[in-house]
Amino acid sequence: MKRWLTRRWPTPHWPSIRGRGRADVGPLLLTAAVIAAVALLAGAAPALLRAAADDAVRDTVRRAGQDSNVLVHANWERDDGPTGGRVRMPHLADDLGDFRDRATSALGPDLDAALLPPVTAVNGPILTITDGNAPRTFQFTYLAGDLDGPDVTWIAGSPPGPTVSDEYVEVPYGGPPWPVQVGLSEADAAALDLGPGDRIPVKDGQGRDKDVRISGIYRPTDSADPAWRLAAALLRPVPGADGPGTTRFAGLLSRESLPDARLAVDEDQLRRTVHFAPVPDALTWDAAAALAAQVVKLKATSGSSSDRDQSLKWESQLDTALRDARTRNSAASTQAAVLLAGVLTATVLVLLLAANLLARRRTPVLSVARQRGAALPDLGAELIIESTVVSVSAAAVGLALARAAAPGVSWTWAVPVVLAGALAGPAFGTLAAARASRDRRQPANRAARRWIRATGQLRRTAVEAAVLIAAVAAFVTLHQRGLLPVDSDGDSGELTGDLILPISALALGALVGALVLLRLLPLGARFALREALRSRRPLAVFSAAQAATTAGRALPLLVLVSTTALASFALILGATVTRGLTDGAWSTVGADARLDVGADAEAATPALAERIAAAPGVGQVVVAQVTNSARVFSESTLLTPRLVVVDTAAFQRLLATTPLPDAPALARLRAPGPGPGEVPALVRSSDGDLRTGTRLQLPRDGAPAIRLAAVGAAPSVGGATDVVIVDAAALADAGLPAVPNTVWVTGPGAGRAVSNTGVASDVVLRADVLRAQRVAPLTAGLVRLAWTAAAVLLALGLLGLMLAAAAGASQRWQTLTRLRTLGLRPRDARWVAAGELLPPVVVTAVCGPLLGALLARLTLGPLDLWLLTGQAADPTAVLPWWLLGLVSVALLATAAAVVPVESALRRRDRLSEVLRAGE
Amino acid sequence: MSSEPMLSVRGVHRRFRTGPTVVHALNGVSFDVAAGSMVALVGRSGSGKTTLLNVIGGLDRPDAGTVHVDGTDVTALDEDGLSRLRREKVSYVFQSFGLIPVLSAAENVAAPLRMARVAPTERERRVELLLELIGLADHARQRPAELSGGQQQRVAIARALAASPQLLLADEPTGQLDAETGLSVMALLRGIVESEGVTVLVSTHDAVMMALADRVIRIHDGHLDEQAAGQPYAPAPDAR
Repeated sequence: MKRWLTRRWPTPHWPSIRGRGRADVGPLLLTAAVIAAVALLAGAAPALLRAAADDAVRDTVRRAGQDSNVLVHANWERDDGPTGGRVRMPHLADDLGDFRDRATSALGPDLDAALLPPVTAVNGPILTITDGNAPRTFQFTYLAGDLDGPDVTWIAGSPPGPTVSDEYVEVPYGGPPWPVQVGLSEADAAALDLGPGDRIPVKDGQGRDKDVRISGIYRPTDSADPAWRLAAALLRPVPGADGPGTTRFAGLLSRESLPDARLAVDEDQLRRTVHFAPVPDALTWDAAAALAAQVVKLKATSGSSSDRDQSLKWESQLDTALRDARTRNSAASTQAAVLLAGVLTATVLVLLLAANLLARRRTPVLSVARQRGAALPDLGAELIIESTVVSVSAAAVGLALARAAAPGVSWTWAVPVVLAGALAGPAFGTLAAARASRDRRQPANRAARRWIRATGQLRRTAVEAAVLIAAVAAFVTLHQRGLLPVDSDGDSGELTGDLILPISALALGALVGALVLLRLLPLGARFALREALRSRRPLAVFSAAQAATTAGRALPLLVLVSTTALASFALILGATVTRGLTDGAWSTVGADARLDVGADAEAATPALAERIAAAPGVGQVVVAQVTNSARVFSESTLLTPRLVVVDTAAFQRLLATTPLPDAPALARLRAPGPGPGEVPALVRSSDGDLRTGTRLQLPRDGAPAIRLAAVGAAPSVGGATDVVIVDAAALADAGLPAVPNTVWVTGPGAGRAVSNTGVASDVVLRADVLRAQRVAPLTAGLVRLAWTAAAVLLALGLLGLMLAAAAGASQRWQTLTRLRTLGLRPRDARWVAAGELLPPVVVTAVCGPLLGALLARLTLGPLDLWLLTGQAADPTAVLPWWLLGLVSVALLATAAAVVPVESALRRRDRLSEVLRAGE
Repeated sequence: MSSEPMLSVRGVHRRFRTGPTVVHALNGVSFDVAAGSMVALVGRSGSGKTTLLNVIGGLDRPDAGTVHVDGTDVTALDEDGLSRLRREKVSYVFQSFGLIPVLSAAENVAAPLRMARVAPTERERRVELLLELIGLADHARQRPAELSGGQQQRVAIARALAASPQLLLADEPTGQLDAETGLSVMALLRGIVESEGVTVLVSTHDAVMMALADRVIRIHDGHLDEQAAGQPYAPAPDAR
């Protein structure tokens, strides 16, 4: 029979388990409370973050607005007739339906489910209304949903009808303007003072008159119908849409008048587009990757640019928005994981300390049990049963609370805590029982004593070396690989094996720091003892001796330093993100307010800027031409940075008056270029493609490209990572005058000044951006987690301090009592106790926050916080000194309270009992 | 030998309450110990030996009775008075040595002298003498962990003698030592009585150790039962 079959299995003694449990109900409940609290945090945080990830995806898409719409364009079928004219196509609306169906079927089921039913829009060119003095423009538009356009009620006249009833009409090129009937909204009709049967006096960009007739006046059944958003002028006149002081009007086409609209303008002037708007609530983190990939795939099929090609051409920023959201989610998940790893490490250390305390308390009981014949495996089994029941039930309570508080629960993170809770107690307890029952006498042989010491030191050195090697590996991995998944599309949101090492870097770093202090503290204590021995004050000697005696205790110092450093790190992370949001808002907007002028109104930007500058409370006003994804060539490589053409002197002044980083290099842009015919430029890129010395070419239509020479590093503009800045005057001298489309405004009145410009433009206020960023699900979630983690870690640190004091109390008061037998007075004993307790606490209070700051400096970069803060680069760690100071004060205050409390508790013990307990 | 006893214990009672149970650890104990003698206090575990030593040294207060050490009523002293008594007249030696691990043997011995604020030169001289007395002059710089159990107990005895006490109370000083080492420690105590004139009251189980005492006092259930000096130890009938 096999040996293991005949081996006696441990047989737990149940009354002993119950008895020990009853005797130590306090420490066991404390352990259970720690496990439950951390299981609650570790169980709820990932689930909350996951929910925040879904919210963040939706939030990102909502914020992108119409940019996240999926647009499909397609050229019309040519309408050349057999006799050299243009053929009227009476079934054009049906063709449009086919176009929409083709687009819809190309979406695929997943993308289709995430998008609203499409709206097809057909827009004519911008025409000028020739009547009246005020500049007014006109555009006719056809809108169609699943069946027809948005519902309207005709309150006068009739819907637009066909110009002719003939099935086949061919119109010669260059003939008189072809009549087209449109309907006007009540507001448009009233503003134009026109009614059914009237003509709208319009002409196109070439000055050719157009024959646009009003068939009727309509009222929208539901003006909130999303379809109207595609052409707001169909509801009411839109001021500023085509420049300052200009008002745009629009005429509604019908299925019947659409063929006439095509003949009324040039063949390529009527543009058809299918708009698919996303349904944010249908988007989730899980679905985002597949949807983004599908959008990219569709956009990739838009390769053909032939004029005659009727294939679908897709256009959308939805994929970019979804990928950005996923990248931010991945960053937030790993940032949260780093914090959680820190909390779990600290918790495991505190549980070890609690188990150590429990084992000390139980040593006499376990010793008696051994003397009565209990085998170590039996005792171990009894302790494991007890600790497993406590740990598992506490974790279950914590996870149940997490399930109640969060939309889900993640048990993965609770496993290390449960394991530590279940195994630490039995390990320490069994060890204590084994020690209690073996010969405790000091070997008489000096070599044997030296061997025992050397073995212990070797064991400790091996553990320290293992932690150090792991920490170095973690930091190297963190810096080389980063924390973001290599393929964000493949990121499932779950913690994968390759991330465990870099995520542990912070916790391992804290442990290494604590181990270094653990090596240094005894040296310091021994130095203090040597100094004290030279003094004549006995209290100094005994305090220093006590401190030196206990300075080598590993667990208390590891707990104190690790928790304090990690709590400090969490505070620094929270402060850095909070401050980063402010900087990010400055970086995103570039000023207190920014006006992005619509393309149709760009010509009026300088005049607009002058008006804004004259408004009260406005400081700096700077205009610039900002072109996103500008086509710039470096040798033969096409680059698409953000091109900023600006008055660099004004821009420099603006930077100087804001918290944005100054850019003294801007001054170089006003000097001549390094080579003949070269325009100096400042460049910035994320991948190093653009650097000082790079020669660039800015292509122009019908003219030679302008040569740019990079003469320095550009500041970030609007949070872009790839930027080229050139001076407006220098570029104009080179033959390319700027057309400003952006106005940056600073000052307390900036928001008010840009809000009422009367120009079609997007107003971006820094305060709004900051507010939105602060409540953004991921950012708010991470900041909350950072503060919570800091509070939990600080609580664990203080608990660790009390446990450490309690664990050493028996021995401390034993020694103090012995000193009292030598004549030490009771009040002096308290000073000696303080002398023992305070050194590790003082070291922790000073070094813990510094270690936290060092860890923040080493790890914040790879954490990619800028993805959440909106900054252009990794934020610099912000050290909230007063909060870090509070951590130190809390530790010192607790330590200061421990001595009198402990002294008061111990006063009840008779000296004789203390001495007897130590025998 | 002085006519006045160094230690006088009169009618000492000490009760301990453990829940509803009251244990009479000392029940009207009275005895005298002459100065410069070595007295062995024997009895089974729980008989009251340690309680008696603690009451004598002022570590515990009796419920009734008086204890005089060199004429000082220990039971009437306050905490500061007791501290002074321990600094000047009474010293202890414990079973578990109680040395400060980070201090060398010499520094441990010097601890009571520091407490008594003895001048450094005098302190060093006294420590040197004591280490020679206990045969550990060569180990002065070694820390307790570098010493054997017997050597540690010797250092503890030297520390107890450092402040020149008149009464040395030793509670099972050989309890953690093997027989041979224990005997050498007891011999050392005997020698100290002879050479330093210190009065020693030592609790022990060891019959060989008792043979070294001038007098043996047996205690059981809080009562004293004196035995002749140098007689072999005879366990009490109820002793297990």
